Amino acid sequence: MTSKFSILSIVLVITSLGLFMADIALGSVHIPLVAIVDILLGNTVEKESWNIILLESRLPRALAAILAGSALAVSGLQMQTLFRNPLAGPYILGISSGAGLGVAVFIMGFSVMGISLSSSIWFANYGIVISAILGAVLVLLLLMAAIAKLKDIMTVLILGIMIGSIATAFISILEYFSQEDSLKSFVLWTMGDLSSVAPDSLKMLFFIVLIGLLAAFAISKQLNTYLLGEDYAQSLGINVNTTRYLVIFVTALLAGSITAFCGPIGFVGIITPHIARMFLKSANHFYLVPLCVLLGINIMLLADIIAQLPGSDKTFPINAVTSLIGIPFIFWIVFKNKKIAALN
Amino acid sequence: MKNILSISSLSVGYNKKKVLSNINLVVDKPKLITLIGRNGQGKSTLLKTLTGLIPSIEGELFFKGKINKELSHKEKSKLFSVVLTSPPAINNITVKDFVAYGRYPYTNWLAVKKEEDSLQINQAMELCGITNFATTNITNLSDGERQKVALARAIAQNTPIIFLDEPTSHLDLVNQSELFDLLHQLVEKQQKTIIISSHQLNLALNYADEIWLINNESLEVNTPQYFIESGKIEALFGGLKIKYF
Repeated sequence: MTSKFSILSIVLVITSLGLFMADIALGSVHIPLVAIVDILLGNTVEKESWNIILLESRLPRALAAILAGSALAVSGLQMQTLFRNPLAGPYILGISSGAGLGVAVFIMGFSVMGISLSSSIWFANYGIVISAILGAVLVLLLLMAAIAKLKDIMTVLILGIMIGSIATAFISILEYFSQEDSLKSFVLWTMGDLSSVAPDSLKMLFFIVLIGLLAAFAISKQLNTYLLGEDYAQSLGINVNTTRYLVIFVTALLAGSITAFCGPIGFVGIITPHIARMFLKSANHFYLVPLCVLLGINIMLLADIIAQLPGSDKTFPINAVTSLIGIPFIFWIVFKNKKIAALN
Repeated sequence: MKNILSISSLSVGYNKKKVLSNINLVVDKPKLITLIGRNGQGKSTLLKTLTGLIPSIEGELFFKGKINKELSHKEKSKLFSVVLTSPPAINNITVKDFVAYGRYPYTNWLAVKKEEDSLQINQAMELCGITNFATTNITNLSDGERQKVALARAIAQNTPIIFLDEPTSHLDLVNQSELFDLLHQLVEKQQKTIIISSHQLNLALNYADEIWLINNESLEVNTPQYFIESGKIEALFGGLKIKYF
């Protein structure tokens, strides 16, 4: 397995480098590859505009894709193992709905109440991010309180889905009463946007995702015991309650921060762990976590390339693209193997 | 010498409803103990309480003289291991990797196996006669083989006590008696204390050193000989003809 994992990792690192270069090379303005390499190395190039396009638009977007892909894939893996459910993903616990409610209140709610927030530039820049984080944290706190009371992890899952539905209901009410322009900006947020991450926020996002990924790897041993079932995990000396808190906290950190900065991005979190297990033919988290990081990066970069519609000056919403390439892939797996790869 | 297990005025049940009450007993030396009783009388509830999967209603448990409530999960995992009725949910794993789970309480956060760990894993597989399957995926095994793998994992955990909750329920007669034979050897050769619940009265009475009989919300502890001669088992199981061989 170690050799298979090494080969897979090397291949995926190479493909992700290729996809990364393709992602920043393709776009409405043609920039020669030589110039791109020069800009990345810090040399001067003939056109100043290339510099700006690459460093302030394409590079941050590609880096955001890398962060989003790895974070969503790993949080999806954690949720699938914790809930022993192949359809679980980073958003199963209502984290994106909570973030969505926060953003909805920020974009639509204040204007419904007649409060104008656009006057402050700082608020306009960070308001969406902060409100998304607050919304996600609110859902998280509700879930943590539920876990303290409930023994059965499936009940927690159902509760998470219901909390998500309540958040969605509140969002509908806000949408119904809101003005046209604020409704549009909210709907745009729900479509996901990798380019909305400002270069200075990118640094912060990088550190949050890095901490989340390291924490996810650090609890691989606990998650491996979860594959036997919670009772066996406990008999192997694992504190199952602590593990639940840890997994949900890590997921909230990863999925919550990505949702706050890029909006909700579907399917990467659900599908990537399945591809990783299919390739590896094992459910060992010590290998699955790094593999999900690499696969998530590849998938997200590919989705971003497609979203840019190479050769045109239009872009697709990223959330639609991940579904468009994600769902046929699930179909392909189902028809090839007659079922989705076993969870463990 | 501290008692391996001692139970004082223990009551077990679900949601404060007592299924068994006022259990007092002491296990002072390694032996094979079989827990028998009719369905729904609390065999599983008792085993789950002893293994800490559900809380006790009242009373105290002591493992090796240490009070159960003050033991961490980690400490408990070095005192007893469990084999549950439901087979482990995992499928995509080789026999050896599965048995290696037994070493989890002893390994670091990266689950790196030391020499001692590999030794224990190999010994456990040897003992259960599954060394030949070491690299086989456990989905490809028969029920009997899989039960041996489950037991090997518990043995690899290297604990003085092993609890087994109806491990024979999916097995045919040959596999059942093989399992009891293996458990008997573990007590003799490795000085383990094994507490197993089973419906197999014949095997239980033949192999066990001690019987825990559940009847009318109480637990009676004695030798198989006593229960056979007193006719209590026949009374409980409704005049069932039991052959003793």
